[in-house]
Amino acid sequence: MKVLLVCSQGMSSAICAKALQEAAKKDGIDMSVSECSTQAFAEEIKNGYAIGLVAPQIRHRYDVLKAQATDAGVPCVLIQPQGYTPLGGSKLLAQIKSELGDLK
Amino acid sequence: MFDKITKFMDEKLSTPMAKLAEQRHLRAIRDGIIATLPLIIVSSMFMVIAFLPNSMPSDWGITQFIAANQTKILMPYRVSMYIMTLYAVFGIGYSLAQSYDLDGLSGGILSELAFLLTIIPSSIPAVTEGIKTLAASNEELANFLSQVPSGFVLPMGNLGSAGMFIGIIVSFFAVEVFRFTQKSGFKISMPAQVPASVARSFEALTPTAIVLLVVATITMFIGIDVHSIVATIISPLIKASDSLPSVFLIIFLAQFFWSFGIHGWSIVGSLARPLWLVLLEANTTAFVSGTEITNIAAEPFYQWFVMIGGSGATLGLAILFAFKARSAYGKALGKTALIPSIFNINEPMIFGAPIVLNPRLIIPFIIAPLLNSLIAWIATSMGLVNRVVASSPWTLPGPIGAFLACGNDWRAAVLNVLLIILSIIVYYPFFRMYDNGLYKEECQDVSVSEA
Repeated sequence: MKVLLVCSQGMSSAICAKALQEAAKKDGIDMSVSECSTQAFAEEIKNGYAIGLVAPQIRHRYDVLKAQATDAGVPCVLIQPQGYTPLGGSKLLAQIKSELGDLK
Repeated sequence: MFDKITKFMDEKLSTPMAKLAEQRHLRAIRDGIIATLPLIIVSSMFMVIAFLPNSMPSDWGITQFIAANQTKILMPYRVSMYIMTLYAVFGIGYSLAQSYDLDGLSGGILSELAFLLTIIPSSIPAVTEGIKTLAASNEELANFLSQVPSGFVLPMGNLGSAGMFIGIIVSFFAVEVFRFTQKSGFKISMPAQVPASVARSFEALTPTAIVLLVVATITMFIGIDVHSIVATIISPLIKASDSLPSVFLIIFLAQFFWSFGIHGWSIVGSLARPLWLVLLEANTTAFVSGTEITNIAAEPFYQWFVMIGGSGATLGLAILFAFKARSAYGKALGKTALIPSIFNINEPMIFGAPIVLNPRLIIPFIIAPLLNSLIAWIATSMGLVNRVVASSPWTLPGPIGAFLACGNDWRAAVLNVLLIILSIIVYYPFFRMYDNGLYKEECQDVSVSEA
C-alpha cells in the first residue's frame, strides 16, 4: 500500500516517513511512504494512495487538504502529535489501522 | 487546570488565528512568494561567489579572475532575484485563481499582464548622425554610446521587491476581474455549435480587456505613478518591521503558535515575508553596488541568529538531550533528533520532547529565541557582524548558513556558534528538571513491572 505524508515543506515528514515505514515492516505490512509539501499535495494525492496523513503543525490547513484528498477519493487524517516523531512510528501506524481497518 | 487553559486557548485563540492565515488571498501571497524561493536562494549563491574576492587573498589567480568578471557573474542574479516580483506575481495569480477553481495558468498570465502594465517602457532612439560626429572626437562618449541599447527598454527597478506590493495588488485585481467575468456570465459567449476550445479562447478575452484597459488607463494614459504612491504608503510599515520591537513580536507570535503545535513560522511568514524580501533585497542591492547596507531584520537574520536548529533555537535543546539526558527516552530522542536539528528541522524535537503544550519546556522555547535576537541585533547594529545580504538554503548547518548569508563573513559563523551555546544555557535548567522527571517515571515503571 502507498501512503502520503504532507507537512509544510515536505522536510520533517521525511523523518516520520522513515519511522512509519520501519514500524510497518516490523508488523509485516508492505508499505511505501512518500512525503510532499502542502502546495504539492492536491496533485500528488491523485496518484493512487491509500491514505493522506497531515502533519500536526499544519492542522490549520487540514480542512483544505482534506477537501483535496476527498476530491481524489482518498481518506485523510490528521496525525496525532505523539505519532509525529521519529520514535512515534508505531503510534502513527496504529492511527492508520484505526482509520483503514486491518492492513494485511 | 493547565489542561483546561491550554485547551481553551487552542480552541478559541491559536487555531482560529492560524486559520486566518488560510484566507485565500494570504495563501496566494504565501504560495506565490514561496514558489520564488528556489530562485532567490540559488541566485543568492551567485552573489556569494561574485563577492568571494572580498574574503580571499587578493594575489590568488581565482580572486583576480572573479573580480575581473564580477558584472558577468552577477548577470544571472539580475534576471532572477533582482526581478523576483515578476516571478512572484505569476505564482500569486496562479494560486488565487486555483483557489476559486479557475484556470491557474490564465490567472497567472492575467496577473503578469496587470503587473507589467504598471512598468512603463521607455523608447531609446537610435544614435543620430549629429551625436555620432560628436562621439567621433570624444572617446568617453563613444564608449558610453556603444553600451546604450536602442529601441524599447523596460526599467528593471520596480520588477524586484520594490514592486512587490503593487504586484500583489494588481494580481488580486486581475484574478478578481477574471472571477467576476467567469461567475457572473459577463463574458463573450459562443453558440453551442462552436468547439469548446474556440469558445474558451473568446471567454478569456473579456477579463483581459478589462484588466488591460483599467490598468493601462491609470498608469499609462493618465500617467499616475502607482509605484511611488504605494512606496510612500508602505515605507513606514517596512521601517517598522526592521525594529527590535517588531522582531520580538514576530518571534513571540511564531513561538506562541508553535507552543500549540502549529507551524508558527509559516503563519507569521505569510504576513511578514513580503516585508522581509523588501528588506533583504535593499541590502543585497546595496551590497552589490558597494553602498552602505542598512537593514537588519530580513528573514536570514532570524534563520541564522535566532531560530538556530529550527523555531525556538532548539538545536541547544537537542544537544542537551543527545549528550546530557539521564532518562532512556531522552537519550533515544536526542539521538534521533540531533542530526535533523543540525539541519534546522526540529519537528522531531517539538513533537518528540514534546515541547508542545509542555509548560516546562515552553518557557525556554520562547525565551531562548528572544534572547538570541536581542544579542544578534546588538552585534549587527554595532557592526560586529555584517548585515544579512543573501538567502542561504535554510537546511544548511548554522555556522555555514550564517557565513554565507552575511556575505562571506566568518564573524557571523562565530556569532551563530555563540548563540547556540547561549541557547544551551537557557534550556539547561528546564531540560534538567524535565529530564529528571522522565528519569524518575522510568525508574518507577521498572520497579512497578518488577514487583
